[in-house]
Amino acid sequence: MMYRCHILALLLLIAVATPLHAQQFYGENGYAEFESRAPALTFTGVSDNLVGLIDLMERTVDFYLDLNTLDTGISLRNRHMRDSYLRTNVHPFAEFKGRFTEDSTIDPMEESTQNVRVEGEFTIHGITRQREVEGTLTFDDEGNMLVLEASFEVALDDHNISRPRVVFLELSEVQKVSIRIEMEKYND
Amino acid sequence: MIKALFILLLLCIPTQLIAQLERRLVVQDRPVELTFMAPRNINILTTEPLSRGEMHYAIMHSFGELSNGWRNFYGIDNGAVIRFSLEYGIRDKASVYIGRSGLDKVFDAGFRYALIKQMQSGSPPVNISLTGSVGLNSAEYNFLGSREFTLYDRTSYYGALLISRKFSDDLSVQLSPQLARFNRTGFEIAIPGDAQWYFGLGVSARYRITGRLALTGQYIWSENSDSESFRNNVGIGLDIETGGHVFQLFFTTTQALNDAYVLAGRNGDPLDGGFRFGFNVNRLFMLHR
Repeated sequence: MMYRCHILALLLLIAVATPLHAQQFYGENGYAEFESRAPALTFTGVSDNLVGLIDLMERTVDFYLDLNTLDTGISLRNRHMRDSYLRTNVHPFAEFKGRFTEDSTIDPMEESTQNVRVEGEFTIHGITRQREVEGTLTFDDEGNMLVLEASFEVALDDHNISRPRVVFLELSEVQKVSIRIEMEKYND
Repeated sequence: MIKALFILLLLCIPTQLIAQLERRLVVQDRPVELTFMAPRNINILTTEPLSRGEMHYAIMHSFGELSNGWRNFYGIDNGAVIRFSLEYGIRDKASVYIGRSGLDKVFDAGFRYALIKQMQSGSPPVNISLTGSVGLNSAEYNFLGSREFTLYDRTSYYGALLISRKFSDDLSVQLSPQLARFNRTGFEIAIPGDAQWYFGLGVSARYRITGRLALTGQYIWSENSDSESFRNNVGIGLDIETGGHVFQLFFTTTQALNDAYVLAGRNGDPLDGGFRFGFNVNRLFMLHR
């Protein structure tokens, strides 16, 4: 009797654990971009090093970006961005941790693009803010891969990133951030 | 059996808990950056490199001495010596430049090469760059009745080793042993001495006040500084980074703006109104990737 009970427990555990695996999606070469539109200058910074994990069972997301990898196209500007604005030696990562909102229904078998919303915490420059971000999820036909796209705005003041106000206005107060990441089913 | 179940449990639980990914840097040890705000700190070139395909445009000014008094707006009315320069990164470590300065109408062409980069791990602990340039004096001297100025006479050379270290986020210091040679000297040239060779040691420093604002300073000890006309150079300034430009406002005791003339040229007396106001505007462009 005891023996059977154990087997049952085992089976149960396996049954519980397998779908959990199947519901996690992981990607690490995602695209992240910010765009600064200021009166005197518009420029973008891009990176192909966005890392993320989506857990459809837990309905959670976890994303981070090594800010050192952002490239604005001019190396001295990159150095100023890392050193004077983002302070990447102290705060190397931007991150977003959150949970899909209740009205975001996600169906991996659905092939068309699905709109989702995530509530969570966005951290950059060591300052965390509550954010709600809208995006889209698109699964491939077997539900093994997905593409997440999202965009949101980051006000530098919200994260204590001061910007120059004298002489020229070359950096926008509000940065438009867009991400696009392909994620695959995650197996440990 | 219980053991097996336990192990399985352990195996399952961690996978359930990967709500937070481990944060991993793409590159572990990075170069220390922005030791100085621009490729030049007041009058002295810095170890701050260009990347391949990058163009650095600088326009530099130095006005008259402060001792000209308020009627001449402390030297501003005396007009400015101006130097334009373009520096281009041919490789990530190597750049070449051309410049043209109003003082003695000198064209100069030179290079900077980054030999060593300071790393965040502390090894290597310093940046070391090599720089050198050739200057060509294009002024007209015929009216003076002087002996004719040949191409050789008009040529000058400059070389320096730039050794810098960023001690903290705020403080950076650079030592620049340097030398210059003028093939012909004399009263016609805007350097006060008759020596052909000049040696000196430059000390540059930057102290950051806020993210984009820094106090700068320089001192150039000159081996030739034995007479009144051969004073050492002193400069203090302010660097302002605006998101695209770096503005450098300063007071320095030299009128010269190219490297050989800064080392060999005349310096005002810093204790007697010998400073001049000057400013550099630095702008970087990406020509290609």
